[in-house]
Amino acid sequence: MALTRALAFDGVAFSYGDVAALSDVSFEIAAGERVALLGRNGAGKSTVVRLVTGLGHPDEGTVWVGDWDTADRAPEELAWRVGSVFQHADQQLFARTLREDVSFGPRALGLSPREVRRRTEEALDALDLHPHAAQHPYDLSPALRKLAALAGALALEPALLVLDEPTAGLDRAWRARVADAVREHAGRGAALLVVTQDLAFAAETLERGIVLDRGRLACDEPLDRLLTSAERLKPLGLAPPPVAALSVALDLPGRPVRERDAAHTLARVAGGRSAS
Amino acid sequence: MRILGLDDVTFWYPATANPALENVSLDVGPGEIVALVGRGGAGASTLLLIAAGLAPRVTGGRLAGSVNRKARAGIVLPTPWTQVSGMAFTVWDEVAFGPANLGWPEHAITHHVDRALERLEITPLASRDPATLSGGELQRVIIAGILAMDPDLVVLDEPTAELDSEGARAVWRLVRSLAAEGKGVLLATSDVDALPDVADRVVWLEQGRVRALGEPSLLAEDAMCEAGLGTTVAGLWRAAGLGAPYPLTVVDAVQRWR
Amino acid sequence: MSALHPFSLLAIAAALPAFAWILPAPGGGLATVLVAIGLTLTPGPGSRGAGSTPGWRPGFVTLRTALVTAAPFWLFLRLLHDGPTTIAIGLRITTMVASCVWLVAVLSPDRLVEAMVARGWSLAIAYLFAATLSAVPVLKARARRIVEAQRCRGLSPRGSVANRLRALRALALPLVLSAVHEVDERTLALETRGLGMGVRRTPLAAPLDRAAERVARWTLLLLCLAALIRRLA
Repeated sequence: MALTRALAFDGVAFSYGDVAALSDVSFEIAAGERVALLGRNGAGKSTVVRLVTGLGHPDEGTVWVGDWDTADRAPEELAWRVGSVFQHADQQLFARTLREDVSFGPRALGLSPREVRRRTEEALDALDLHPHAAQHPYDLSPALRKLAALAGALALEPALLVLDEPTAGLDRAWRARVADAVREHAGRGAALLVVTQDLAFAAETLERGIVLDRGRLACDEPLDRLLTSAERLKPLGLAPPPVAALSVALDLPGRPVRERDAAHTLARVAGGRSAS
Repeated sequence: MRILGLDDVTFWYPATANPALENVSLDVGPGEIVALVGRGGAGASTLLLIAAGLAPRVTGGRLAGSVNRKARAGIVLPTPWTQVSGMAFTVWDEVAFGPANLGWPEHAITHHVDRALERLEITPLASRDPATLSGGELQRVIIAGILAMDPDLVVLDEPTAELDSEGARAVWRLVRSLAAEGKGVLLATSDVDALPDVADRVVWLEQGRVRALGEPSLLAEDAMCEAGLGTTVAGLWRAAGLGAPYPLTVVDAVQRWR
Repeated sequence: MSALHPFSLLAIAAALPAFAWILPAPGGGLATVLVAIGLTLTPGPGSRGAGSTPGWRPGFVTLRTALVTAAPFWLFLRLLHDGPTTIAIGLRITTMVASCVWLVAVLSPDRLVEAMVARGWSLAIAYLFAATLSAVPVLKARARRIVEAQRCRGLSPRGSVANRLRALRALALPLVLSAVHEVDERTLALETRGLGMGVRRTPLAAPLDRAAERVARWTLLLLCLAALIRRLA
């Protein structure tokens, strides 16, 4: 189920007590868009996630999930449209087996047993978790638990998938697994909002970057432009990831930010140089 | 003179048939920064616990081979929030928790705590309640708490995992300054791209064994790139079909390009 | 209250239930319950922020917690016993519950640890006490996080009784599991901070133990013993 306008923040402000976490934040995410939410620690990214999931309501402005105003909905209702994985989600697994935990979401939504089974198996497939499906979540390594939490969100087949630091603590191979699963999910029309410090992952998996700075929107533009612009990133506390930095340093045509594109371009240019 | 020497160490966790580490030999000298790289589950965290004297003493299990440690070790776990004492009102007290447990006299505690706070640039946070800090701030407090105990061997398990890029850069700067004052540093990280500018030696751990050990140039070798453990730039060079030896960093690549 | 030495607070919290049981019912029980309730209404140390950690709770929250915890006992007593016995035992149990709840609210774990360590108790034992005291807010915070995550997966904690029971069960398992799992992690983590070295810890800020308080504590203990002897004789 895709929503044309999956998520919209309209003049949103939010404070924790006296501390303003977000001020006048506005943006829209359409179905199928893959957006990175970037910024320093403390810039307000996790607050955005809380507001999207309905765990908090904006002090000013509105948060729209599709045509739903989050202020009118409880988090368990928003779960019909929003699949979320928080940081340290691995601490919240609770079923006796991984499979049971992943199926929790679809079951809680009251879907038919057949539908629950289908979604669970597909989610386990997407992250290659079948070998561990019968194990107890707390017997698994923290990395696998993290993947299990993601599988649980994917099983909801949400129109909007919101992830908070999905690759923290994962090695390269597991990061690639997350990237594949997430791209596939977006390919079916879902919208994606990923909070991340891992700019390399953002470059590989996402296409648009929204940067928060001290609770305000500082940038909202395509990632391949943003990540190659060190002068813009530096004041926001960010730095170009290695591929983007290399593209700029070697002045590669098209300034590729993805590994595969950069490798092709590099090969092409090198070939051209040796030929001349 | 080495601060830490692991000689042919094999380690089994309690009630486990397969060893977590097998025949690992490793030295860390004063002023040296040694980095462990490898896939998750390769044994890096276990190795760090052994280096810090917590395995098998606290974790249980069996150790074969010998561990020689000339001095005090301090370790920062990959989950630093678990290392909070839970008993301190203020950041100052939190950092002083370790030295106080070591039974040092008050003036020594004050000296080391103030120095640690300065080093981690958290002096302005000194009177804050640790429960109100952000993840990144808390991590710095814990690192300060470990440094305040004045270890000669500093062991860090994924020190930049929770941090933004400014925070990560600050940690690497700190690591270099610790080595500069003669401490030994043993760390595990998945941020391989940072290592060429930080590590003196790199150790590749695979399924509990040392597969390779050498200078950071190791991170540009075929085997490592194949395993997905080389630097991004080296991997890219290799994927583009350009010849070995691959450049380690963007700076190397620029030089090679010219 | 907060300025009192932790041992004094412990002494009071132990003495009240002791008196409740020793003194003849129902007068004794009534008197101690009133004292205990009065204590729950006094504000604790103001050094920390409200609510989230032991050390400060608005008085009514503490009182309410005590009464709510004691209520089921009254129900069971009424089912098992006649009126006068119910009242007699009920008052005693309420005193115990109120004293415990008050103690958790008013005693800062760190002050207790400092006090114990200053007296030469091993840090490990002191820490055990402190961890028990701070367990409640830590568990509460974790429970809140778990419930939030589960709500975001579609589990509603509201609605019908069946629904609420399901939600409770879904909360209980991860809470207990993660708490147990964390004990291992915490043991290791605290070792990294120098605990368990077998060395006498340097007290950083040992709470002041006034002579008057020490005298008062011993007096309280002697009064308890005297009452007990008198009761048995």
